[in-house]
Amino acid sequence: MDQQHTIPPLKKEELLDLYRRMRLARRFEETVNELYLQGRIPSTLHLAIGQEATAAGALHCLRPGDTVFSTHRPHAHALAHGVSPHAMMAELMARSTGTCKGKGGSMHIGDFARGFVPAIAIVGGNVPIAAGAALAATLQGSDAVTLCFFGDGAANEGAWHEGVNIAAIWRLPVVFVCENNLYAASTPFQEAFSIAHVADRAGAYGIPGVVVDGNDVLAVRAAAAAAVARARSGEGPTLLECLTYRLCGHSRSDPRTYRTQQEEKEWQERDPLPNFVAWLTAGGHFTPEALQAVDQQIEATLADAIAFAEASPSPEPMSLYEDVYA
Amino acid sequence: MPTQVLMPPLSQTLETLVLVEWLKQSGQPVTKGEPLFLVESDKATLEVEAPVSGVVSALLVEPGTEVRVKTPIALIVQPEEAPTLAPALATASPGRRVLEPLPPERLQRVVASPRARAQARAAAIDLAALTPTGPGGMIVARDVAAAQLPARISPLARRTAAAEGIDVDTLAKAHPGRRILRADVLSEVEAANTPNADAAVGQPLSPLRQTIAERLSRSAAVAVTLSCEVDATELVALRQQAILDLAAEKVRPTFTDFFALIVARCLLRSPGINGTFDGVRLNLCEEVQLSLAIDTPRGLVTPVLRNSDLANLRTVAARRIALLEAVAQQRLTPADLAGGTFTLTNLGRQRVDAFTPLINPPQIGVLGTGRIRPAPAVHAGQLAVRQRLVLSLTFDHRVIDGAPAARFLEEVATWIEEPHRIWYG
Amino acid sequence: MAEMTIAEALRQALREEMRRDPRVFLLGEDIGVPGGFGGAFTVTLGLAEEFGRQRVRDTPISEAAIAGVAIGAALCGMRPVADVQYSDFLFNMMDQLVNQAAKLRYMSAGALAVPMVMRAPVGATARGAQHAQSPEAFFTHVPGLKVVAPATAYDAKGLLKAAIRDDNPVLFFEHKLLYGSKGARSEKGAVSPKGEVPDEEYIVPIGEAMVRRVGKDVTIVASLLMLYRALEAAGVLAQEGIEAEVIDPRTLVPFDKERVLHSVKKTGRLVIVEEDNLTNGWGAEVAAWMADEAFVWLDAPIKRVAAPDVPPPFAPVLEQHYVPSTARVVDTVRSLFGVY
Repeated sequence: MDQQHTIPPLKKEELLDLYRRMRLARRFEETVNELYLQGRIPSTLHLAIGQEATAAGALHCLRPGDTVFSTHRPHAHALAHGVSPHAMMAELMARSTGTCKGKGGSMHIGDFARGFVPAIAIVGGNVPIAAGAALAATLQGSDAVTLCFFGDGAANEGAWHEGVNIAAIWRLPVVFVCENNLYAASTPFQEAFSIAHVADRAGAYGIPGVVVDGNDVLAVRAAAAAAVARARSGEGPTLLECLTYRLCGHSRSDPRTYRTQQEEKEWQERDPLPNFVAWLTAGGHFTPEALQAVDQQIEATLADAIAFAEASPSPEPMSLYEDVYA
Repeated sequence: MPTQVLMPPLSQTLETLVLVEWLKQSGQPVTKGEPLFLVESDKATLEVEAPVSGVVSALLVEPGTEVRVKTPIALIVQPEEAPTLAPALATASPGRRVLEPLPPERLQRVVASPRARAQARAAAIDLAALTPTGPGGMIVARDVAAAQLPARISPLARRTAAAEGIDVDTLAKAHPGRRILRADVLSEVEAANTPNADAAVGQPLSPLRQTIAERLSRSAAVAVTLSCEVDATELVALRQQAILDLAAEKVRPTFTDFFALIVARCLLRSPGINGTFDGVRLNLCEEVQLSLAIDTPRGLVTPVLRNSDLANLRTVAARRIALLEAVAQQRLTPADLAGGTFTLTNLGRQRVDAFTPLINPPQIGVLGTGRIRPAPAVHAGQLAVRQRLVLSLTFDHRVIDGAPAARFLEEVATWIEEPHRIWYG
Repeated sequence: MAEMTIAEALRQALREEMRRDPRVFLLGEDIGVPGGFGGAFTVTLGLAEEFGRQRVRDTPISEAAIAGVAIGAALCGMRPVADVQYSDFLFNMMDQLVNQAAKLRYMSAGALAVPMVMRAPVGATARGAQHAQSPEAFFTHVPGLKVVAPATAYDAKGLLKAAIRDDNPVLFFEHKLLYGSKGARSEKGAVSPKGEVPDEEYIVPIGEAMVRRVGKDVTIVASLLMLYRALEAAGVLAQEGIEAEVIDPRTLVPFDKERVLHSVKKTGRLVIVEEDNLTNGWGAEVAAWMADEAFVWLDAPIKRVAAPDVPPPFAPVLEQHYVPSTARVVDTVRSLFGVY
């Protein structure tokens, strides 16, 4: 890792902001899970409960004008990037006020005006596209950076290799963020890889590979900030692997019988949220009351988002025919 | 798809009509219901309205041309049917493309299925002469097959022909695929007996005519006619409203439809005039089966609107239209003609105000309606121009007294003046 | 007005659009390498010299990345024109074209646009099964894509400029035997039509068919190389008194149904000629449309002339039987003039 990009220490309000983003993601997903069980949200949901530190830490250092690519598990990314929880809730409830007017659903949440590309749910499919977005910035003479999330499973897709390679040979300003949650759906990491880390593959493409504790938001934040700074200065892509864990199933229909209770229990203890709360309060940065005030604000926001979504109309049937062609 | 404007079958009898004038030009917008062209039928020159809104994209027929009914004469497109181009390229678009007109022989193409076409070719049958019964007015195989069957002759027609001395089998051969009815035989007789310019006047009656005359004389009712003039202004307005309301259903109610509804309602209230009398037995009916007098080139026919047809304006209009089509296509069956309990005859299309309608034996009553015309009248204490109409009721005085007949007439008059009553049945 | 080959016309379109719009750039395999081919069929020859290798970007042999990069750049404001050496390689990028390019706009409810062009050569030219397909029909099945197939120099230039300016992903199919490529890149058996191309700026709108020969007895719809087979067939048929109307659709999506329908109403007979395998080709769709909309206007069954349902062979003698010939078109049209 290049050491020349020194990352300034975080200010107090930045720490609180990181907490807010993680907490909002956690509570949003717990809430939509309940709504799903009540039948108020159709389809299925890929929840990222347990992975919030990676989302919040990686996105914290981006600027307006930067571009984010997400996956079939996009809620935490989107909320951490500032996409409206109201519009997301409406999209999950298939309403016309949703981020995609009810045409996308959970797997295509996005807000392109904010630089958050409506999520691409084909595993690995977003990697070469992210390279293209980074190329656009280069050709336009901008210093905008593209950040592309994917899971460990994506690193075995052909498109992933083509995309990482082309970004590497063209030194494109892109940060590839692997959320390695140890399972591609139910397939354990070691059944699909003969290497210890996804980041080991970076060397094959001549780019830096970094492994970080994905449940430590400050560690993710620091590593991402370095990778983003490197990209912004024209030195090319970084492959940043965040080791994390889904505390929930792959999708709503996943009973998680492929994992041991022992393993789940170990990762429960590494839940990024309580650990960060402990760090914030133990370090004397914030009182528990200050954090509770944030929590209350988030509860109010979510209640309001549900009310907004449920008061919103379904899409007009004729909108089926719109937006096929520009 | 552009909407084809077809030459409407305005006349029951004419297969071609003359397009007099286009009231819109190609490229002009037109609104549904707006007059689009003038057409000349045997009776009058009529304005015909655009069937849909849009832009007239092509006029396929020159003014002054005689056109077969139901053939396309113009095309109306929707504005969005213009070729779609990406917005960035809109300026590069050459604009609405004008396709070259189809050759006339293709425009006159008979709409027929390939199978029907093959069968017609094999049997040397002119497709244009067939009556289509397929989807969208398409001639299908059964239509070709029907044209190849020998005509069927109704038993009544056969008896009538025998009585008259007409060779009904020769008649049938001249009309393959049809059903020869008594009316056909009678019109043959009539045609044979119609005096031409060279014929001497004062010919004796033909045997058939003598038979009819004798029968009529024997069974002749003691006919009395009552008349009264009524104010039809409300009815005229109501019909206009109904035309608009039912336009989407392609049902255009006529005054006859309203009269039929009203007469049916009033007959239920005056049952003593609804029925038949054969000279011995009076058979009064609780249901109304209303014979409708229809003029045809071959003479008068009186198909029957059934009790169920008289449920409401839609059902009456639909049945009337079906009967008119059957008359035009000479497909009336004896069942269509049988069982009438009262007759309605409307001469309002002609310049007839009042007349003496003739009882249709063995019925005992007939109502005639004349034309509706604007005339000065006292209305609400003021002299005003009102729509006036004369009703003429003929009844058989052998079985009906004058007073109940007058009450029935008055009931009809009231309903015509307060036509909203029909909504309440 | 200059007479030029299709390859030259395409090159001129690219040059003009790159001069006009700095957002336009090219990417693909072997398109700008100094001393290289200028793409598999010389279309981009010389463009790297004028515009630099930033805007004429050589890629690794990574078709998924070519498509993905084009899509990503298009999302972010560029107008990429990607070059696929052989249309057979489009199958290497099917996820990017079908799941991404075609659907991003829809699933984002209009927030995204993918203004990109994917140029791809088609046609059987003695290269065997994996370099000789004509896969246009695959893409006509995907809502969100436009599909263009020009057969003349004039259309190649005008339609490529239209495709570059279009805000949608456009699959732009070119035929190897029509390019008129020279020297080492010339093709045996090429038709290489030269055509007049105006000096002044022009666009051929996407979605408009063109009547190439007017006739009253039968309509023949054919694109790319098959257009020339159809025109040749029409010449033969004319000597027999059959006047064929030959329509070049030029664009397969959106398809100019109105033009074909009008012609079929006039002629009452329809033959569609495709170089692709018969089953479920775009011709099948045209036949279905016309069976629906022109049913009562038809005097004969709708016929398709297409490659049999086998992969493209290598041996020239086999290929001759694979690619629809002028004689097959003539025979098929003749068969429609029996009594039905």
